[in-house]
Amino acid sequence: MWEPIARFLGPKPVEVVPYYVAGAVIFSVLVIVLLINLPSRARKPLIAIVTFLAGLFYATEFFLPIDEATQKNILTDYLVPARKLGSLLAGMTLTLGILSLVRVHGRNIVRLRAGWYNSAVLLGAMIAMVVFGLIDKYGTHEASKKIFNVLFEGMLINMDATMFSLIAFYIVSASYRAFRIRSVEATILMTAAFLVMLGQVPVGLALTAWIPREGDFAWMRLEVVKEWLLTVLNAAALRAIAFGLGVGGLAISLRIWLSLERGAYFEKEI
Amino acid sequence: MQHAFEKIWPVLIVEVLTAAIIVWRILSAQRGKELFIRRIPGLNAIDEAIGRATEMGRPVLMVPGIGGFGVVALQALSIFSYIARSTAKFGNRIIMPVADPTVYTVAEEVIRDAYQAEGHPERFDPDSIRFLSDRQFAFASGVAGLIQRERIASSFMFGEFFAESLIFAETGNMVGAIQVAGTVHTTQIPFFIAACDYTIIGDEYYAASAYISRNPTMLGSLVGQDFGKLLITALFTVGMISATLAALDVPALSAAGKWFIELFQIR
Repeated sequence: MWEPIARFLGPKPVEVVPYYVAGAVIFSVLVIVLLINLPSRARKPLIAIVTFLAGLFYATEFFLPIDEATQKNILTDYLVPARKLGSLLAGMTLTLGILSLVRVHGRNIVRLRAGWYNSAVLLGAMIAMVVFGLIDKYGTHEASKKIFNVLFEGMLINMDATMFSLIAFYIVSASYRAFRIRSVEATILMTAAFLVMLGQVPVGLALTAWIPREGDFAWMRLEVVKEWLLTVLNAAALRAIAFGLGVGGLAISLRIWLSLERGAYFEKEI
Repeated sequence: MQHAFEKIWPVLIVEVLTAAIIVWRILSAQRGKELFIRRIPGLNAIDEAIGRATEMGRPVLMVPGIGGFGVVALQALSIFSYIARSTAKFGNRIIMPVADPTVYTVAEEVIRDAYQAEGHPERFDPDSIRFLSDRQFAFASGVAGLIQRERIASSFMFGEFFAESLIFAETGNMVGAIQVAGTVHTTQIPFFIAACDYTIIGDEYYAASAYISRNPTMLGSLVGQDFGKLLITALFTVGMISATLAALDVPALSAAGKWFIELFQIR
């Protein structure tokens, strides 16, 4: 029963791809027009049914026993088409995102607002990356490929690294404020952090190197104290938080899956 | 592909039981049962932060993190919907930079709807919700720039945050913004604690929308998840007792302890 659907959603020969793309566009437009014109009373149950079926599909696929040899169950093969559907929706929303960027920065340029040249650089860079990116992927023009390389490897990656490296300085100023001794909690935090930091560096380790590794006082060695703080106190607290988050996630997923949440996000009927 | 491990039934039973408890509490709350939630200071501070922005006449920043569209983002949008209703009432300007295009489209609807619900649809500015970039540090530099240029008065960060969390929080701190943050990523919580005025920790994140909206469905779900935690705590306790029994020399007790441990052990 599912075989024709899987074949329909699977890879296609290059020569028929344009027909499939055109068909998909027409189908999407029809669905959107239908959804828009559907009365609210009909739209709500439709959304609830689609949400429930989608959730049921993923939950069943996860829990159904798998064949040891293939590591699959009867639903596993349909995960990829389902993900493609998700990617399609994300692709459509990306267009809206880019439109938002163009709208905000285009207006800055047209009205010559303060810093309009930054908006011009942003839009110019965006267009350049798209054009040279496409040439790099599909074209044969060597000079253009080199330009893309300069834009991506030479600029974007380095700018990413610059932003990332800023975190080191932010950590210093944030920890300075966090470790100021203002209360009992801050004192405990500072002491624990100080012990963990000492336990990480050779100078700190040298301080307690004279304590025998075996025996009644071995626990006083800084690396043992550090390990205990990280794997007992810290890990226990983190696991407790993680369990709380897990159950919280389950609760909100259930509300969405069973459409118990309707009206919480959108005050109007959707 | 990720699948349930070979010992599927014990996990499935616990999960179904937890889910059933949550649904039961939701339904009983919807029927009008009174429920109690403890005070969460970070969430009480939301109104204080909006009030401060109103007094200063400076914008309110809301960042839904860099994660994709999912339960975490939906929860963040639910909190932002409440904040947007307050800003609509007081006429504050809001800025909401978004890193994920899917979140962007939903966020625009949620915020527009909040303004309509407050009776001020004319105050909603579509440009206040901006898609910046889906690249982590491009988004981080965009948000940091917005914080500096707009001199925001209050900053709310709820959602999935990674290394960029400290960039946002410290930049907000530099401009003197009052900051409330919450994330599901435990590795980022220390950064928020260090740099923000209030931090929502752990499952308080999922309690936030119930706490501020007092919506019966959400309140019921919150109480249900607490029952779920009780169930898991009970399993932990039985597990600890079982591990102790398994180590004993009494064959019957040891076998019972080993049986329970085997039930949930993952190899």
